[in-house]
Amino acid sequence: MQSRQGPPILQAFYDVAKLMGKDQMLSNRWQILCCWVYLVAAALAVGMFFARADLLLIFFVQAAGAVFLVMGALSVKSPYSQVGAQRELVQILTYEPLLILVFVGMYLVVGSFDVGDILAYQTPLLRKLPLMFIVLSYALTIKLRKSPFDFSTSHHGHQELVKGVMTEYSGPALGLIEMAHWYETVLILGVCSLFWATSWIWMAVLLVATYFAELVIDNTMARMTWRWMLKYVWSIGLALTFINFIWLHAG
Amino acid sequence: MSNLLLLLIVLPAIAGVVCYFVRSGAVRTFTVTATGAVLTAASLALLGQGSFVFEASGLWESLVTILDFALLFVILYYGFRLRNLLIKVFAAAQIVLLGFFELVLLDHGASVPALMGDSLALVMVLVVSIVGSLICIFGLPYMRKHEQHLKLEKSKQPQFFLYLVLFLGAMNGLVLANNILWLYFFFEVTTFCSFMLIGHDATEVATKNATRALWMNSLGGVALVLGIIWAYTQTGTLSIMAMLAAGPATGVLLVAVGFICLAGFVKAAQLPFQSWLLGAMVAPTPVSALLHSSTMVKAGVYMVLRFSPMFEGSFLSHGIALCGAFTFLACAALAIGQSNGKKILAYSTISNLGLIIACAGLNTPLAIIAAVMLIIFHAISKSLLFLCVGTIEQKIGSRDIEDMRGLFKIMPRTATITIIGILSMLLPPFGVLLCKWMALEAAAGHLFVIVMMALGSALTVVYWARWAGLLMGSRGESRGTEQQPLLTGGPLMLLCASALVFAFTTPYLYTEVLVPAFAAAQVALHGSLLEDAAGGFVMYPLIMLIGLGTLFAVFRALRAKGKESHPYLGGAQVGGMDEGAFLGPMETAVPYSAGNYYLGELFGEHKLTLWINIAAGSLILLMMGGAL
Repeated sequence: MQSRQGPPILQAFYDVAKLMGKDQMLSNRWQILCCWVYLVAAALAVGMFFARADLLLIFFVQAAGAVFLVMGALSVKSPYSQVGAQRELVQILTYEPLLILVFVGMYLVVGSFDVGDILAYQTPLLRKLPLMFIVLSYALTIKLRKSPFDFSTSHHGHQELVKGVMTEYSGPALGLIEMAHWYETVLILGVCSLFWATSWIWMAVLLVATYFAELVIDNTMARMTWRWMLKYVWSIGLALTFINFIWLHAG
Repeated sequence: MSNLLLLLIVLPAIAGVVCYFVRSGAVRTFTVTATGAVLTAASLALLGQGSFVFEASGLWESLVTILDFALLFVILYYGFRLRNLLIKVFAAAQIVLLGFFELVLLDHGASVPALMGDSLALVMVLVVSIVGSLICIFGLPYMRKHEQHLKLEKSKQPQFFLYLVLFLGAMNGLVLANNILWLYFFFEVTTFCSFMLIGHDATEVATKNATRALWMNSLGGVALVLGIIWAYTQTGTLSIMAMLAAGPATGVLLVAVGFICLAGFVKAAQLPFQSWLLGAMVAPTPVSALLHSSTMVKAGVYMVLRFSPMFEGSFLSHGIALCGAFTFLACAALAIGQSNGKKILAYSTISNLGLIIACAGLNTPLAIIAAVMLIIFHAISKSLLFLCVGTIEQKIGSRDIEDMRGLFKIMPRTATITIIGILSMLLPPFGVLLCKWMALEAAAGHLFVIVMMALGSALTVVYWARWAGLLMGSRGESRGTEQQPLLTGGPLMLLCASALVFAFTTPYLYTEVLVPAFAAAQVALHGSLLEDAAGGFVMYPLIMLIGLGTLFAVFRALRAKGKESHPYLGGAQVGGMDEGAFLGPMETAVPYSAGNYYLGELFGEHKLTLWINIAAGSLILLMMGGAL
């Protein structure tokens, strides 16, 4: 998009490796507890996904991690962290119902919430749930903290380096959070992959296209406010859900 | 058998009378504690004996009838004393209807077993007797402090504990009743006890809220009498067992069931009848805890659940599911707009009761089991949270959650227990979440219900997470340990421990106790949710992993070493570690403060309540109309 050369593609991994080697700075012991629970829950959710567990249960375990991230940010007496936590809560509030409804859509088609049963289904879900895929992509954008929904991790005071919900995490603790975030990304892309689980090639194409679309959206959109997000995403998401479910019912 | 029943229903009444007449603190403490212990033991013994049917002698029958009329006249008297037209009208209507029923319609010759205990009733007795007793015991030191604070000249504790303990007996009677007129009698007793308890402090606002509770619940009483008379003319029996045995109701009988459910809605403070329960928070904390967790509102959901076989498969059932799901969603939204801790708890209670009623309306075996489990877990977690808020309020003088920032520093033990209580309402592997999971699975085919449940469930996360987060706030070591009287700390620790223990026994409880009791046949046919194909508990590995993960996280947190760092304040920090102040103009320190987002423009009480009440009222009309 620009003619400059950016960091290598593995930079994110180098960053985390470097963070893990840094000295620990402690604001508060709760934070260490919270970032570990966040990581464990995210890893567990991914593990359960690959163990083909119940989608709702996977989602709840994932949500537990998200809640702990917020609680960690709330436990510190720092305005940036507090504001970030409040905004993160609004983000959770926005994407949670949509994710549940995506799972319900899958249930309506397949008749089960089990990842195993969904994978065994013979036609691509995308054909029956095209609108639910759009709904999922809203959740994906929020979960990846991409614009226009990236406000929980950015809030500038006097400097640009302030990072909302993560402001008070540093060194190894921040590294853990980054790793947990990778797990979350894997999980939600995993859910995307269920939409075309009948063929490996198309699944890969779908995932690459989705991820690329996210990057394009991230680079072309400006950050919006939480009010806009909540109203816009809920109304569009619910409308798409109702239309898609009525199709299913009719078809 | 009859001795156990006597202990469960009549002993609390006697203990209450003892508390009232013997005005000694020591006797009161002994009586309440001993009654709690006996109730706990008796409820467990009753469980051990299994299902039963109990015929009472004619003497008891007449006594209940006489007491029933006496109670109605007492309520009528209060209607005149409070000069409230609604109470007068509703009480008079009940007296007239009940008199007409007893004198004209009722065949007094037929014998009806007075009490019965099936799985649902036994579960309820356990919840009432154990959780309720713990709350009463917690009330002993609490009320002493409460009265010190109010500087009363003459203690009102005798009266307070009379109604508090009597309440437990009435609840036990209500859930064990088989003769529907007995159910009605105990229903009225709980109405009256709650009225007296809410108005206990006798302030202007307490009296106002107590009056509101009385007229609303009297309205529920009218609906119940109508339902009873209507059902009797259709079925010709007063026995609940006989009515349930006749299978799903059709035609006009369904309307009678609709009226009974409506009475349950009022008692469970479902929208649009929520205001009496919100008003109840002016009462001393043990009262709120009792009303919200183990008694009163649980009586409402119990009635809907009890009669659920009668409306199975009907439009009424769908209507009930819709009403419940709407309450779940709307009250979760209202809870977000609140900063008053007790009010958040109140809305969350109503919201969870809505979920239970939605489950009763969905009426599949899975949904019914979810509802029963929710009753148990909600009673434990919610009573714990109310008692925590009461303890915190007595210490810091506020029930506003903004004032609880960094509470861990002042009250480390209570704060930790509160955090665990909050997490038990919210996260895996705690029971409430598992019930929510089961409810979602059960509702998956029901478009409107599942959408409302999905939205409501996300709203729930917001108000719990931010509260738990701001309780944590602390830095460094806390100031010493926290001292609590035994009767305050004991119930808190016990409830907290049972919330934790239940998290690990949920799958066992589900497969070994609840499925055989409530849905053996259907689940055997369709497979059960918490079990895998090989018959093992799917949940256990998950619970183990979550438990180990959490322990590991706690271990890392305790062992974490590092330099202490200041919170980031844009590089403009002044003062010590604790203060958190910016460097302001003229080199002054400007302390920073943060507040929660209450999303007032979306979820404010004043904005939503009217519309929500209108919507809920229309849904109830739809429900009742569908029954016709």
